Amino acid sequence: MIPPVLLVARREYLAYVGAWGFWASLLTAPLLLAALIFAPLLLAQAEPPRALVVLAERASDAVRVTAAYEERARADARNEVFAFLSAAAPAAKDAALVAFDSAPDRAAALEAARASVAQTAPATLGAFPNPSPRYSIVAAPANSIEALKPYLNGEQSLPDGTVLFGALNIRRDSEGAPLIEYWSVNLQHSDPADMARAVIRREMQREALAARGVSSEEADRLDALDPQIAQFDPRPGAGASAVTAREQAPFVAAAGFAFVLWMFVFSIASMLLSSVIEEKSNKVLDTLLTSVTPLEILIGKLLGVAAVSATLLLFWGALGGGLLSTAAAQMGNSTMGQAAASVLESKLALIFVLGFVAGYLMYGSIFLGLGALCDSVQEAQTLLGPVTFLLMLPMLLIGPALDNPNAPIIEAASWFPLFTPFLMVMRAPAGLSGAELAGMCALMAAAIALLFYLAARVFRAGVVNQLSVAALFRRRRNRE
Amino acid sequence: MNALEAEGLVKNFGGRTAVDDLSFAVPQGAIYGLLGPNGAGKSTTLRMVVGVLAPDAGRISLMGGPITRAGLKRVGYLPEERGLYRNMSARAAIAYLARLKGTPAPVAFARADALLEAHGLGAAARKKIKTLSKGMAQKVQVLAAIAHEPDFIIFDEPFSGLDPVNQRVLEETIRAQAAAGRTILFSTHVMEHAERLCDRILLIAQGRKAFEGSVGEALALAPSGAVLETEGAFDLAAALGGRGFAIEPTGEEHGNCRWRVKLENGKGSRELLQACVEAGAPLALFEPTRASLHEAFVALVGEGS
Repeated sequence: MIPPVLLVARREYLAYVGAWGFWASLLTAPLLLAALIFAPLLLAQAEPPRALVVLAERASDAVRVTAAYEERARADARNEVFAFLSAAAPAAKDAALVAFDSAPDRAAALEAARASVAQTAPATLGAFPNPSPRYSIVAAPANSIEALKPYLNGEQSLPDGTVLFGALNIRRDSEGAPLIEYWSVNLQHSDPADMARAVIRREMQREALAARGVSSEEADRLDALDPQIAQFDPRPGAGASAVTAREQAPFVAAAGFAFVLWMFVFSIASMLLSSVIEEKSNKVLDTLLTSVTPLEILIGKLLGVAAVSATLLLFWGALGGGLLSTAAAQMGNSTMGQAAASVLESKLALIFVLGFVAGYLMYGSIFLGLGALCDSVQEAQTLLGPVTFLLMLPMLLIGPALDNPNAPIIEAASWFPLFTPFLMVMRAPAGLSGAELAGMCALMAAAIALLFYLAARVFRAGVVNQLSVAALFRRRRNRE
Repeated sequence: MNALEAEGLVKNFGGRTAVDDLSFAVPQGAIYGLLGPNGAGKSTTLRMVVGVLAPDAGRISLMGGPITRAGLKRVGYLPEERGLYRNMSARAAIAYLARLKGTPAPVAFARADALLEAHGLGAAARKKIKTLSKGMAQKVQVLAAIAHEPDFIIFDEPFSGLDPVNQRVLEETIRAQAAAGRTILFSTHVMEHAERLCDRILLIAQGRKAFEGSVGEALALAPSGAVLETEGAFDLAAALGGRGFAIEPTGEEHGNCRWRVKLENGKGSRELLQACVEAGAPLALFEPTRASLHEAFVALVGEGS
């Protein structure tokens, strides 16, 4: 015979699994998450080149800026080809890149690389990238900013129907000093101006060097001076070679894990809250109390919703694993691809599960206690404010933790049991020692025991003695 | 043997005494009524009896021993604050509560089906609770309280919310359960149900016991009376004035005056009839009436209660 506590858990589980909302969440959440991750990348890839015009009082300024944009578009395309071939056809990479580099311009380079791949790895040709340049320098439809304003404001389109994204106006003062004006309605976006600034700055330096008698060849040599940068990981076992994108990726992955963990704990714990409120409003608890104790109801609910979580985690885990494998294979050397590969290889998933169990039990206990004190969802929402604020705090620390997981504030906050599940995940790639992990687990276990004890008392008071926030307010009003 | 014995029960809520030194015993096999107005402490008493609330003082013996999980498995309880999971089907709800009481799953479902069929709810067995009428849902809840075939059934205000037809059906269910040898304890503030069903009753007011005994014993404590009709304009109240009868006119019937007489101070209907004859009252009707349980309750605890 099934013990009552398991019967309560089973009913709880079936109540959720039997609801259409569960299946909707099960199926749509991964799609939404995938959309959240991949949509910006896909949108960026699908976005047509942003049309820019360059006006310049000195023709050479316009030529140099235009050339710099072409050079950048070619470099971006080469990176994409490199990332794709690293993942999809490493053997074909070198020959394709040689062909790419030998071509005179970007379009020809892409075509040459494609032709090389067609010979060496024809099976991958279908997925060969066809990237669009981020910007395209177009012929100016007018020769002054005043005349360009209707195009810049979107009142008029360019002759080919596209919208003008921005205009660079490079002027020279009476002494020949350059002044770069960037005109665009996209006020937050200053990338074109920054790029023009780099080009003109280099030109100014070359003019200054020429004035001091430095030859053009010498100026080129000076310009090419650039130190190599290599980053190393001093931790034992990290190896002597420089840090690669693959080694940096777990830090990015940890931030993703911490965010997903936060969302998951919050949404699952909310299920417990609504479940208790539903039973209180259904007045079913008094019926149950002659068969099961309040503690058994509490444990049954925690177990039931934990089983719901396990179902979701297993499904999403399997799906996520598949997606990550695909991402790791398809996105090659990109940070995203490296993050996907490192997630599959690292212990992050294990720490995520540990964080979820601890977070669920702590926040679940809090939410169960709160639910027992509320007679309606409205009451619960007013009580949830401070708890939501508490839950938001670790989220605010995820950004700084990504920058420096060992910052004193992150280290200190990670020892506060309510924050530990999220910050433990964030600190894991930076090297969380076994002793630290054990200490954090011990503290979380103590917090779980304390919160569970308090929740059990509040739950009993709420369901047996009908103690509620509204009743407390009524009692206080009556006293007054 | 008593199915339930309560001795000196006390329960306070925030300085207010809900149950005050209450003692009573429910004999095995009896239909026992716990009567009192709203707020008298009936539900608190029953919640203590089924172990949901712990008494602040006093002792409870259930089925011959202290309240234990095993003892409570032999008890079926319908609380006053009742409800079921709205998305569960009627049969699943009954079976679930029976299984919580230790009934094996196949037996629980078989009993759920049989009970629903027997109570005219066979067609609603697989319908969700939220689709049932309030009366139907309440019947399902009553069935859920008895599906594990308990020895002792406790119903808290079982008739509230039911229409007269379903009240009658529930009365039949209670009688059938009692006939099957089960002990029934139910609370109500409607005296007529207790009067029709109970072998013994406990009257409580403001948490204290006002009376415990049989219905007959309770009725004997209330004044009986009589309804009389006198011909023409005869003034019975004036004629019997000073003889110790409480007389009040209640209107006219077929040209006769109608009177209600309350028999108090040890006077019976025989004395009343003799007084009428002596006063030369032209009687068209003389009908002794028995006191109701409501009147007994009022006599015991006062109109204010």
